[in-house]
Amino acid sequence: MEVKTFKKGMRVPHNKHAGAGALADCPAPSTVYIPLAQHIGKPATAAVEPGARVRAGTRIGAADGFVSADIFSSVSGTVKAIAKRRTPTGSCNHVVIENDGLYETESLPKLVDRSRESLLARIKDAGLVGMGGAGFPSHVKYAPKTLVDTFIINAAECEPYITCDYRLLVECTRETLCGAKMLADVLGVPRFYVGVEDNKPDAINALVRVAAENNIPADIIALKSKYPQGAEKQLIYAVTGRKVPVGKLPADVGVVVGNVHTAFSLFDAVENDTPLYRRALTVCGGSAVKPSNLWVRTGTTYADCVDFCGGIDDGCVKMISGGPMMGFALDSLDYSVTKTSGSILLLSGTEANTLQPSACINCAKCAKACPMNLMPMYIDAYTLRGDYASAKRFGALNCIECGCCAYTCPAKRPIVQSVKLCKRKIRELGL
Amino acid sequence: MKTVSASPHIASKNSTRRIMIDVLIALCPCVIAACVFYGYHVVINLVVCLAFCFGAELLYNLIIGKKWNAEGVKNASVKDLSFAVTAVILTLNLPAVMPVSKWGMTAVGKNGSVVFSFDTVVLCALASIFAIMLVKMLFGGIGKNFANPACTGRIFLFIAFGGAGAFGLTSSLFGSGMAATGATWLGKRTSVTGAMLLDMFLGNVATAAVGETCVIAILAGYVYLSARKVIDPRVPLMVIGSLALFAFLFDVVPSGARGISMLYETLAHVLSGGLLFGAVFMATDYATTPNTFAGSVIFAVGVGLITALIRAFGAFPEGFSFALLVMNIATPLIDKYVVPKPFGYVKPIKQKKRRGKGGEKAVSGNE
Repeated sequence: MEVKTFKKGMRVPHNKHAGAGALADCPAPSTVYIPLAQHIGKPATAAVEPGARVRAGTRIGAADGFVSADIFSSVSGTVKAIAKRRTPTGSCNHVVIENDGLYETESLPKLVDRSRESLLARIKDAGLVGMGGAGFPSHVKYAPKTLVDTFIINAAECEPYITCDYRLLVECTRETLCGAKMLADVLGVPRFYVGVEDNKPDAINALVRVAAENNIPADIIALKSKYPQGAEKQLIYAVTGRKVPVGKLPADVGVVVGNVHTAFSLFDAVENDTPLYRRALTVCGGSAVKPSNLWVRTGTTYADCVDFCGGIDDGCVKMISGGPMMGFALDSLDYSVTKTSGSILLLSGTEANTLQPSACINCAKCAKACPMNLMPMYIDAYTLRGDYASAKRFGALNCIECGCCAYTCPAKRPIVQSVKLCKRKIRELGL
Repeated sequence: MKTVSASPHIASKNSTRRIMIDVLIALCPCVIAACVFYGYHVVINLVVCLAFCFGAELLYNLIIGKKWNAEGVKNASVKDLSFAVTAVILTLNLPAVMPVSKWGMTAVGKNGSVVFSFDTVVLCALASIFAIMLVKMLFGGIGKNFANPACTGRIFLFIAFGGAGAFGLTSSLFGSGMAATGATWLGKRTSVTGAMLLDMFLGNVATAAVGETCVIAILAGYVYLSARKVIDPRVPLMVIGSLALFAFLFDVVPSGARGISMLYETLAHVLSGGLLFGAVFMATDYATTPNTFAGSVIFAVGVGLITALIRAFGAFPEGFSFALLVMNIATPLIDKYVVPKPFGYVKPIKQKKRRGKGGEKAVSGNE
């Protein structure tokens, strides 16, 4: 099979230790804290009062506006409170539910037909969002205003350690492909692509076999195992050869990229009438006692997931929500799993970078690695100097924050941090 | 409490120190070859250069940091070992002995060979302090120097003491053929033969600097640095290629050589002088060469062109270090105008008001 890829980028050690472990059900704790902001856009408004009795699948948060999404209870029990709690990136209202342990369910109404309109309505009613991490409401994404002729399922999973999408592809191949077909139907695209990195040959084989058996019009594309293969613009280039113009969206070149888990969740919502309240999650890292893949109900805390996997060993120096290249460092594990939580990483001292940055030696390794063809060392230098206008002219706003520059930097400079600061300053100052 | 910091949370095992160690390893064959061909003088020079480069950088750190204690020493930039790279390259860029005729601090043995030259020690120390203090540290230390410290140190000695007889040629210990005549091919042109080229390749010739001697040693360093991905292997090839081209055009063709001797003379240009050593170890220096491949092409062509011009028309027989210095100084200019287009770049619709060609995409320092 021909292996496709993009220009530049780099190899990072895969460390997918949890890959062999099948998805296990992580029991929900006695109290779940379900955030009302699990997506980009306006947080949902609480649709239940304290004291109300809910079941798994009861709508507890109503989308507030167009770019927002419904939130569903993940357990059955009683709403104790609507309380503000911290999230890894800020804070929002959480619905606190006491779990009665019965797991009674509440389904969405049966879908009358599989037309484009009904499917799109189901996407909205099931509270689907992009489950790769960004959490963009899917009913907005799958109703593009421009003409779309290509749909790609992003199954690259290029971040090290993470294996939850891989487990979905291997264990729920048919469900995921059927869900992807539904997404393609919504977009009106007859065939679609599934891009998978070639370090997951069994996933590729399973996809090819199941697509043929079930007559699903999917082209399975093997991608070179190179970081950031799963970055949207790089994936589109690898699969179609199209370049998304600077400052534009994939839809501008007629492409929509969808997430594996979103496809699976749509299948679940259509076939089983189950709204989105659980997801696959990887617990991995050198300090994870038992690296595992779990089915987790939203509102379960990270600590509950980690404890279920045997806990943390003493050598852990860094806890991360998301991948090691683009995820957020956590100060504690007292955060709730959301629709977009793909992994919890517990890195040991030998894995995590804890070195202090030293002076830039102008080696240009960052520029050689940058998949967006930028000059990261200049952006870093100008940002630290406070000259944001110059940093902007060297492409600060084009940065996808993949982390290649900082990963490869021999001086261990926090280049991505500079870029993030620079982007914020450019917005603040209106440059 | 766990560490909380911005992504990415993992990093490559690469480090500044690791890169410098790689360069030092790559320089080892050249050091060994120099010792074999020129004897213990090279060891003395190396020790002096290492000591003074280390001392100068540490002293500068302590003066600027105002911390005259163990902590100041611990935090000094010497731990990245870049001073050692400068010291070794400087040593290899100097003759084995540099007697200053007016000082007369050179002991000569009974057979006329130099036993010990204190002049050389003084000059090595001077060049080291000059390279580290003036060229490197005053401009901000590693990564900020505008010119190659070792190259500039050599030029400083060459200009300041060249008239005092310090830059005579050194014959190799196994002197034969050209080495016996005490002149390089660049200084005293003779018709080139195959045997001469072989001598040049093996290092059996008189040279102005001890590191330029053995081509095999330089090649070993080149292969190591390329394999370790410390340097871009294309850059030395471009430098050598452009010198071969321009030397052929400006020197070989006008000299009247015809047929196979044209090839021989071009090859002699490539194998003589500091070109090969400089192309591998100095034209690939990070701080003083362009950051983009397109910029490196301009840089390499410039170095080749200026070297060829100096060799063909200049007052000196060899001009690589001057060419390198000139292009070092041109590097910020190249980096300012050669900026890669971001992925997905689309040409903006042309504005009526004409502006400077490069001024829009790059930035001038005082804006």
